[in-house]
Amino acid sequence: MESCHLNNPAMEARPIVTSKQKVEVVCGVPTQVVCTAFSSHILVVVTQYGKMGTLVSLEPSTVANDICKPAITTRVLLGQDEPLIHVFAKNLVMFVSQEAGNKPVLLALALKEKSVEGVRALKEVIRSCQVW
Amino acid sequence: MEGPPAPGNGDISLHNFSARLWEQLIHFHVMRLTDSLFLWVGATPNLRNLAVAMCNRYDSIPVSTSLLGDTSDTTSNCLAQRLARKTKKQVFVSYNLQNTDSNFTLLIENRIKEEMEAFPEKF
Repeated sequence: MESCHLNNPAMEARPIVTSKQKVEVVCGVPTQVVCTAFSSHILVVVTQYGKMGTLVSLEPSTVANDICKPAITTRVLLGQDEPLIHVFAKNLVMFVSQEAGNKPVLLALALKEKSVEGVRALKEVIRSCQVW
Repeated sequence: MEGPPAPGNGDISLHNFSARLWEQLIHFHVMRLTDSLFLWVGATPNLRNLAVAMCNRYDSIPVSTSLLGDTSDTTSNCLAQRLARKTKKQVFVSYNLQNTDSNFTLLIENRIKEEMEAFPEKF
């Protein structure tokens, strides 16, 4: 009875979450980027190890403010909580949160090398996977 | 939607499927990474919680922790543990259904296992 779920066209619903992915060489290192849009969050995976690595949450402050952009709080949910990861998270995906209408972003980051040029290049790859 | 047809080793694969359980259309979204798995389950595209589980040498029960959302809701944790035990991978689970009845979550788990058997390369 259970197996009737498979191969039944009536069961084939369109996915309700959209994802885009890309593989690109960034500063000589093959890098995979996957962006997935949930209604509450945007999930951004940036990996050079094929793994999730460090998981960081970016939350825009909920205080209404028409004058300037809302402040963003970064929190490491899993992995080593070092200052540099917060800097990277903000620089990489703050624009995603802003463009998505101040949605929180979950960032999974596993980088072999961290550099300013790397951040610029990675941002472009993330932008090319726009799902927000 | 899906990546190139023949992803090399280490490429992330994405997989979506769905099921009608107890008159409700449930969606599943799977991201297969190297030695790890991200699984989202929901009826609406919300991501309200996230848990992770992984096997370890000290205990037959995989260790798990809640990363996001209500920590008193252990459904994501339990599902992550059970899937980590089955796959021997690090498993992230986001379970976003109101119904956390154990009979219902068992159906969910069975549906996932069914899909794992049909498409092992996606998990």
